Amino acid sequence: MIELKNINKVFEVNKNNKVIALQNINLSIDDGEIVVLKGASGSGKSTILSLIAGLSKPTSGEVIVDKKHIAKLPDNFASIYRRDNIGFIFQKYNLISTLSVSDNILLPLIPLNLDFDELNSKLDIVINRFNISHKKDSIVKNLSGGEQQRVAIARANINNPKIIIADEPTANLDEKLSLNFIEQLKELKSLGKTIIIATHDPLFFGLDFLDREIAINGGKIVL
Amino acid sequence: MILSPEVLTIFILNILFFIFGTIAFFLSVKIYLGWDNESVEQSQYKLEKQSFLTATIIKYIFAIKVPLFLFFIFTLDKISNVLVGAMCGAGVVDATPYGIYLFILKIINLYLFAYWLVLHNEDMKNEKLPFTKMKFGFYSIVYFLFIAELVIEGLMFSSIDIDKMVSCCGTIYSSSSTSYISTIFSLDSTILLVLFYGTFSLIILFYKLKFRYIYAILNILFIIISLITLIAFFGTYIYELPTHYCPFCFLQKDYYYVGYILYTTLFLGTFYGIVIGFIDKSKLEIEKSFKKSLIFNLLYVLIVTVYPVIYFLKNGVWL
Amino acid sequence: MKQYINLYLLEYAINSILRQKSKSFFIVIIFTILVFLLTSVFFITTSIKSELESTVESLPQIIVQKMKAGRHYDIDVDALDNILGIAGVSDGVARVWGYYYFENAGVNFSLVGLDEYEKQYKDSFSKIVDDFDSAKFSDDSMLVGVGVKKIMSKSYYKDYFNFIKPDGGLKKVKIGGVFDAQTSLESNDVIVMSKDMIREIFDIDDSHATDLIVKVANPKEIPTIAQKIKLMFPDTRVITKDDLKISYQNIFDYKSGIFLALFIISLFTFFIVIYDKASGLSSEEKKEIGILKAIGWTIDDVLKEKFYEAFIISFISYIFGVGFSFAYVYIFQAPILKNIFVGYSQLKTSFELPFIFDVQTLFLVFLLSVPIYIFATIIPSWRIATLEADEVIR
Repeated sequence: MIELKNINKVFEVNKNNKVIALQNINLSIDDGEIVVLKGASGSGKSTILSLIAGLSKPTSGEVIVDKKHIAKLPDNFASIYRRDNIGFIFQKYNLISTLSVSDNILLPLIPLNLDFDELNSKLDIVINRFNISHKKDSIVKNLSGGEQQRVAIARANINNPKIIIADEPTANLDEKLSLNFIEQLKELKSLGKTIIIATHDPLFFGLDFLDREIAINGGKIVL
Repeated sequence: MILSPEVLTIFILNILFFIFGTIAFFLSVKIYLGWDNESVEQSQYKLEKQSFLTATIIKYIFAIKVPLFLFFIFTLDKISNVLVGAMCGAGVVDATPYGIYLFILKIINLYLFAYWLVLHNEDMKNEKLPFTKMKFGFYSIVYFLFIAELVIEGLMFSSIDIDKMVSCCGTIYSSSSTSYISTIFSLDSTILLVLFYGTFSLIILFYKLKFRYIYAILNILFIIISLITLIAFFGTYIYELPTHYCPFCFLQKDYYYVGYILYTTLFLGTFYGIVIGFIDKSKLEIEKSFKKSLIFNLLYVLIVTVYPVIYFLKNGVWL
Repeated sequence: MKQYINLYLLEYAINSILRQKSKSFFIVIIFTILVFLLTSVFFITTSIKSELESTVESLPQIIVQKMKAGRHYDIDVDALDNILGIAGVSDGVARVWGYYYFENAGVNFSLVGLDEYEKQYKDSFSKIVDDFDSAKFSDDSMLVGVGVKKIMSKSYYKDYFNFIKPDGGLKKVKIGGVFDAQTSLESNDVIVMSKDMIREIFDIDDSHATDLIVKVANPKEIPTIAQKIKLMFPDTRVITKDDLKISYQNIFDYKSGIFLALFIISLFTFFIVIYDKASGLSSEEKKEIGILKAIGWTIDDVLKEKFYEAFIISFISYIFGVGFSFAYVYIFQAPILKNIFVGYSQLKTSFELPFIFDVQTLFLVFLLSVPIYIFATIIPSWRIATLEADEVIR
């Protein structure tokens, strides 16, 4: 369960220039929910994702995930929390195009120095689930858009995280790929993941398998 | 003034150490004064980032210090070829008043830096970062000893006069010389051996009892008594010469470099032993340190005992 | 051991280096060149040192020279009898030799006086006496080294040579033969002739000699005997073999010290270059680090990866630098650089640099290259590792 309590986030661009990104945000998300944060660019929805992922810290307030106060964690522990609990899907996939599919998917696990067999078994689970095993050793830049998408999703799932976070996942995609992505989301939901998507793509609005839509505007939740 | 390439290398690295060590010092003081684990201010996050830089610098300095120390010993050996009268590093150390202090200081610093590393590792394992303030405060103090070492090293090398004759280890450590070291060697070897094996037995005893603090203190004593007995007794069996008292010569090729093994095992054994008394670790970690300490100390005692025993078996008499 | 080296991270680091081909290539090339130069200097000096040491080995154990007003003077041959009386002295010879300046070619010849039936103090000279029969080595004949022959031929002296005596008169000496002495370093400017002839050329009378050399039965007693000689003859300078060894070692350290100083300067420049290059991050690099942190890499992980990168680059440069140096010095015999140390002189022949495997040199060069590079990357790596990830991935 994810809780944001009385969150305020202020960015100091310089001494005289402060940007208020979030104001008094209170939010809870239950396990297994799939939630969409709607809002225009700059509304603050990406900041909320950052906070949940432990990538940034609030100026005041608490971020509690599974009873853990992650805002107070020192950097190394925040990263470990993120690695174990969060799967990130970025706007432009952000894969390393010169590496192979397997290398990209295993990227989050490199620092762990796991056994070769353990790594391979984790890899096999995700590449089979997301239908990319036939291209296991191909270099990413040679893949089609849809295949790259699946690699990105596979990478987000390699450590079997409980929470999937997607920041504008369809911003650069055509309609076909966007719809593809939505299908993948259904798959993820069936695995019991908690999914949080920040987007202003109308394709997401009103979908029946979404549990909630939360509108954000000017750093505040619009009721 | 000795201007050999080896000495210049040491100087260059010392300058680097000085620059980065001082950066680490300023950061350490800043962090020590301003650290507040509970704070959510920007300033605290900045400090957290800077703590990584400081820790990295200290880690790198230590990582290079160790091979540099070895290199230092090689250099002393090489210089002994140019100094009239010196047969090994001992003569070079004795050539200036700084030599022996530099040596002791270097060894102490190795222990201190290694201790800092253990402290740092324990700190990073815990979400609360319990030792951060302490480790940087500790470094702030160690810094001064570190700088002292660099300065004295510079002084020592620049004041070596190649025209001046120096004594060989034979005269420095013999019982007829006037230095205070010689008074130790005039002690009866039986007493020394009793102290040595006695301390070691106590170490085994307190290992079984798992009394941390007494174990740590015993290890400190063990360093001292081991060094003394090494020079006064065991060394003579390595050299097979009853009058050859020298802590350097057995580092040379002629003795199969056994000196390095001896000093390394002694360092590791006593280091892990001392660390137990000074850092609060989890039970598992303490167990591991106890074990490592005992193993290395045991190795040291075994190797060092082997020499007189073999001598006796070969020759039927003691030296 | 496996826990200390993360092979996957290593692989990622190698990959990362290859992804920035031009920058990495540039750094490796420059660093390799620096290591190459430094190592070559050390290899050459070590080899020359050992070559000289073997030369020094063959030099006399004790040389006694008479000093007057701080300058070297001819010594009384009688002194030899007194010296031979010292306990421990096994032999002694009065040497007659000198340098003859040949103005036409602007070079010095070393004239060495040998008498056939005297025991030679140097094995190479014994060999010469054995090789050339007395006809060639007599009252009006001399033996010359290969280099000397060349110089004389250039000045049209083919079968004989005219020495100009101190009184202005000429001494014509036939060239009886050409030799090729054992130790390459000294063979080329030497002329061997009878002691009497040298006495005539340099105007040294029979009761005097250039210097005395003393042989000692037990080498450990050399310093003691040297002292005794000095006490016996306070106006002499007594040089032992060890003195020579030490002074050679010092000359070489001095010269390679200069090179080291130059190297420091270039290293310092390089340090600045690395720092600058490593600090400047393309937005692509920043993004990549942002991604890594977002997917769960800690700051320590990023620092570790950067360390691996730095180590790989500096170590590869080290290996290449040392490797090329081996080839340059020992296979190609170090053209150009060698002359800086041996001193370019017309008479100096090329000699072969002996192969000496010196671990200490390799250690020294390692310490001067790899740690310095790694220190240069500490602050830039840290800057990269502590970038705010959320700013970067938007």
